[in-house]
Amino acid sequence: MRHTIRRTLTAAVIVSALAAPASLGAQQAAPRGTADLLTKLSAKPTPHLNGKPDFNGTWDHLGGIEFVRPEKLADGSICLRGCAPAAPRPAAPAAAAPRPAQANPPQAMFPKYKAEFLAKVKDLSARQVETDNVLKCLAPGLPRLGPPGKIVQNSKEVVFLYDDVNGAFFRIIPVDGRTTYRKDMPASFLGDSIGHFEGDTLVVETTNFNEDTWLTDNGAFHTAGLKVVERLRRVGDTIEYTATSHDPAVLVEPWASKPYTMWITSQELEEPARCEDRDLEHIVDGSHHDNPR
Amino acid sequence: MRHRLLGAALAVVAALATASVLSAHHSVAGQFDESKSVTLKGVISKVDWVNPHIYLYIDVKTDGEMVTWSLGTVPTAMARRAGLTKESISGKVGEVVTIDCIPARDGTKHLGWVNTITYADGHKIELSRR
Repeated sequence: MRHTIRRTLTAAVIVSALAAPASLGAQQAAPRGTADLLTKLSAKPTPHLNGKPDFNGTWDHLGGIEFVRPEKLADGSICLRGCAPAAPRPAAPAAAAPRPAQANPPQAMFPKYKAEFLAKVKDLSARQVETDNVLKCLAPGLPRLGPPGKIVQNSKEVVFLYDDVNGAFFRIIPVDGRTTYRKDMPASFLGDSIGHFEGDTLVVETTNFNEDTWLTDNGAFHTAGLKVVERLRRVGDTIEYTATSHDPAVLVEPWASKPYTMWITSQELEEPARCEDRDLEHIVDGSHHDNPR
Repeated sequence: MRHRLLGAALAVVAALATASVLSAHHSVAGQFDESKSVTLKGVISKVDWVNPHIYLYIDVKTDGEMVTWSLGTVPTAMARRAGLTKESISGKVGEVVTIDCIPARDGTKHLGWVNTITYADGHKIELSRR
């Protein structure tokens, strides 16, 4: 269980959580996700299973909360973002002054929409607190969900498992050579996938999405014609993950979302705490976190 | 023995290294007034270990009456990465804690966002920094 906490940790300060992959052993560790750690892990031999790259394992990728830098002091105090004195705060805004909604999506890491859809994107973004189903604890869809936290693989299929803040999700991806998607499946948040191998890369092509998800924050809607192509290349004990969204009905060009490097970890997935929003009814403006993926 | 301790420490630290993915969620500033702060002294009566935000409830005696404040805080994955559990946030049964929080912007009474919890023995949990 990932969050099992023992009280035997006597180190005065935890500067950063560490990953201790089983294959590294207990004598070797480096801060999670650092270049040093990834260099060591990627230099290891790439394992294979039935002649294909072996993706079996639990995989870490910081999960979007890399800004959390927990620090523990000798008296038992814990600070999520470090205990150093905070930088001087800027003058507080007027208490009742509403913050403007994010009406203009950032262009970096954002899909390019055809001109006739820009107004729709702008409107959805401005009303994200109302229109983004992720805020209502529904499944994020692809590619917004990001890389899987665990992969289970045999000769016929690969299963992706996720412990997302919005819930536990799974995808079953056949890699048995089929080329046609299931015909009896309703459109869904995570779609229907088929995989194949290209050398040490697993290519997963997914279609049959519903229209209840976005590609990323800020109104990045898609149509039911969306196709997402994920490429996972195993390099030693790391995986290079990319996802490209194809939706020619609304996008000018395919959109490559944020790439990830994943690394193997000994931490097991667990069922995430239930997602139960209690906040949206109290939001007084449209402000929201930006968390492009 | 040294190796065993190191192993234990690594095991603990690794356990802290959770990887749950965070999707977008609303801004704290959209719900809570960062220009104000409230200090509450009372007993944490419940912690709801839920996403996207953990909620805790503190019973505070105000003008002779007991009032329960609902206080939001970080997602479970962030708390876990810091080694926090529902139990460690709750404190001991009946323990009087002091919570520095910011109040709701929409005028809802007794609703806030936790910055820091200070426990009876003086140790603190700083969940947010405003």
